Amino acid sequence: MLTRDFVGGVASIAIGTVYLYFAYQLRISALDDSMGPGGLPRVYGWLLVGLGAVLTIQAIVSRRMAMASDATGGRDEWDGQGRKILHAAGLLAIGTGYVLVIETLGYLLSVAVLLLVTTLYLGAGNKGRALAVAVLGAVFLWVMFVIVLGVRMPSGVLASLGL
Amino acid sequence: METLTHTAAFLLDWHVILAALIGVTWGIMGGALPGISPSITMALLLPFTYTLDPTSAIVLLASTYIGAEYGGSVPAILIRTPGTNAAAATVIDGYEMNRQGKAGLALGISLYSGVIGSLFGLAMLMTLSGPLAQVALAFTPMAYFALGILGLSVIATLSGENLVKGMIAAILGLIIATIGSDPVTGGTRFTFGSAELLGGIEPVMIMVGLFAMSELLVQASKRGQDERVTSRPRIQFPDWPLAKRLIPAQMIGNGIGTFEGVMPGAGGTIASFMAYNEARRWSRYPEEFGKGSPEGIAAPETANNTVAETALVPLLSFGIPGSNSTAILLGGFLIHGIVPGPMLFQKSGEVVYGLYAGLFTAAIGQLLIGMAMLPVCIWLVNRPRPYLNAFIFALILSGIYSIHNEAFDLGIMIAAGVLGFFMRMLRFPFLPTVLGLVLGYLVESNFRRSLVLSGDDWMIFVDDRISLGLLILSFLFIGGSIAKRVYDMLRHRPSATFSENAES
Repeated sequence: MLTRDFVGGVASIAIGTVYLYFAYQLRISALDDSMGPGGLPRVYGWLLVGLGAVLTIQAIVSRRMAMASDATGGRDEWDGQGRKILHAAGLLAIGTGYVLVIETLGYLLSVAVLLLVTTLYLGAGNKGRALAVAVLGAVFLWVMFVIVLGVRMPSGVLASLGL
Repeated sequence: METLTHTAAFLLDWHVILAALIGVTWGIMGGALPGISPSITMALLLPFTYTLDPTSAIVLLASTYIGAEYGGSVPAILIRTPGTNAAAATVIDGYEMNRQGKAGLALGISLYSGVIGSLFGLAMLMTLSGPLAQVALAFTPMAYFALGILGLSVIATLSGENLVKGMIAAILGLIIATIGSDPVTGGTRFTFGSAELLGGIEPVMIMVGLFAMSELLVQASKRGQDERVTSRPRIQFPDWPLAKRLIPAQMIGNGIGTFEGVMPGAGGTIASFMAYNEARRWSRYPEEFGKGSPEGIAAPETANNTVAETALVPLLSFGIPGSNSTAILLGGFLIHGIVPGPMLFQKSGEVVYGLYAGLFTAAIGQLLIGMAMLPVCIWLVNRPRPYLNAFIFALILSGIYSIHNEAFDLGIMIAAGVLGFFMRMLRFPFLPTVLGLVLGYLVESNFRRSLVLSGDDWMIFVDDRISLGLLILSFLFIGGSIAKRVYDMLRHRPSATFSENAES
């Protein structure tokens, strides 16, 4: 029953409902035009809920029709998806970690750690090579952003070294 | 003539020349990497354009698009893996020529046809954009609203297998566009007390997240060895008899590329396959197609490079991006406070002429850079994926942080990446979301302004002739797409898959 379209439809209804809740909380002012700041957001919210419902119904109908003609079930389309989500979550965690440490550790150090952890996480076998790529890559990016483009990146713990 | 004179003035501007050459180089490298589409290659550059002047920024992005279209043919010919969707048609005969030991000639035909396509496409762009924009000078708020609706109606042809999914994706974009200040009263909406959200969410964060970050999240699960290039070919251009033989195929590519580029939603992939089919139909050697026909490379490569230029016609004239790549280019315009469309030629004419000059430089430069970059492309294609993806990840995070020096922006981009990852998994198209995001403000502000002007009389949208015309056009666009879907359903023909326009 849980086809991709079904999940997409239910997710749309959920997002639409939450958005509608906040759209109805928007304050009305005496200076507002007839639509007001909440006018179109409410339309969008209802459209999202409505289209989500249509997609859900479509998914249920096509699933029933598929089951009537073929008894093999619909598990195939989710095969391996859990593993993909887990792998993606790992990379996401690395990115989130970078966001949390960039201002404390500074750009140069955090981008070097990011490169090292990411290459190892993505399956680089040679640890020495990964370390070398991380160090050289970080220096390259630092030169490009800080020296060439003149971007003010955080120095963090290396502030005393002027990096 | 006036356009040519203005454009010529920019041909010696070193900012434009440099941006064009860097863009082509970057584009060729990005296009050569399977999985990195032209739009992702462009999205990676978006954060860097903040520090550039508007003309250089737009030239850089547009030249990247041109370079990526050629770059995509390199792995298509060498390892039977198209670097871009539009290069998929090149695989058929390109790889066959490689197997016959003619990889250098196949790459030469691809490069040379790409340059012809780019130059022809540029001529079409310069001919069509100005006059179309003139029409749009008489635009009122009602017409702008209708223009936004016309832009959104492109969704009908971009939704792939399911129109409902395309519409949901568009509404997600419209919803994101409502975050920040209200366009009429200036009050805050959906900011939840966050000062960072007061100005709204910049499209660049969402675009980089949706296109580039989500691709990395998808690739995080792919382990294993990619195919490697073992040969070391050198580019070889066709001799005169072969070049003469390729002319009809290239003309077909030019014609189809022009038509498909100007039509929002069509894109380079469709143009390439159509050009391939037509070239086979009209060829004097149809039996060679599929067995290493040079025309089988020339037609699709000319077509997709023509599209890279003519796809800018609806963007420059009306502000409507018809593909992911032009949506990213629109993001580049918006970063610099320039709104493509009716007033672009009046308010920022120098950017348009600089863009034309940059595209010309890029097309010519592509010939030399394409030859010089071949060993680099082969080296890049052979790099282990973990190192390449880690570097792209660091580049994205660094680029986004450099825009405002705020970790908050990284959070927004990563959140957009997660959204994109699940949209890919659930097979929702991206482009409608980007369209909703970039057209949301235009639609809402002009809709509400029109109602204020008319005293809440909705007939104002019908009374304004331009608005009425554009609304009818939108209706025809959507109606035509639905009719085609119904026709396909009745004939038991599958509609386009979700990914067909995902990365064009």
